[in-house]
Amino acid sequence: MEESTPPPPPNESSPPPPPPAATSGSPTDFLKGVVGKRVVVRLTSGVDYKGVLSCLDGYMNIALEQTEEHVNGTITNRYGDTFIRGNNVLYISAAEAL
Amino acid sequence: MASQILPLELIDRCIGSRIWVIMKTEREFTGILTGFDDFVNMVLEDVTEFEITPQGTKKTKLAQTLLNGNNICMLIPGSNGPEES
Amino acid sequence: MDPSSSGIQEPFDLIRLSLSERVFVKLRGDRELSGILHAYDGHMNLILSDVEETIMIVDEEGQGAVNIAKRKMNMLFVRGDGVILVSPPSRT
Repeated sequence: MEESTPPPPPNESSPPPPPPAATSGSPTDFLKGVVGKRVVVRLTSGVDYKGVLSCLDGYMNIALEQTEEHVNGTITNRYGDTFIRGNNVLYISAAEAL
Repeated sequence: MASQILPLELIDRCIGSRIWVIMKTEREFTGILTGFDDFVNMVLEDVTEFEITPQGTKKTKLAQTLLNGNNICMLIPGSNGPEES
Repeated sequence: MDPSSSGIQEPFDLIRLSLSERVFVKLRGDRELSGILHAYDGHMNLILSDVEETIMIVDEEGQGAVNIAKRKMNMLFVRGDGVILVSPPSRT
């Protein structure tokens, strides 16, 4: 992962964002780095979807390309593109170097 | 009442160190916390996933991972997880 | 701002591009649908027509033998919270 110094906090009189300000390892930063890369998306059901992450939104809805569905370690389906509804997502894990 | 520490401030101080995450279901993670957001979605590095089943615990190693905050139950700072104790 | 070759900026673009096409839908409870997508919204509520539903019934005692039930519907509303994934027809 590329190393970058976090930007200094803005000196504004507006109320600061709630508790922790995003650091360089925040979920947003992770997602910026991982779009276009191979990922594993595990659902809470334990089913895995492996593919190239094309994009996602604030609900963790995910669009995957070249998707393979893995159940208990075996491929059970292949899809060209897949929309995964975010409420089912347990985690998104990088499957190649970022 | 002087300086109340917020729960998420404690987690903020864990950034850069190992943390043990226990989900609402029979599933746990350990990893180095690199960041999190207001939903307690967490980014972890050098992750081990533990799936606890009646047949035993299945371990999975993961690289950098974004964990959905939705299913998180508890966080234990500075712990290597279920195998430490 | 175009991370991939497909020109999809957000996940819902994938669904928008699948309107009037036959899509595969995976639902909670081991249900699968194939149908023509007519409408959707931000909850992933769906309207499908010419639908075939496949229900996997796993028999736990019989070593996980799977029974498959199928049925057809002309027009169907799917409540979004049951949706796990939607896969459009292959664009290749």
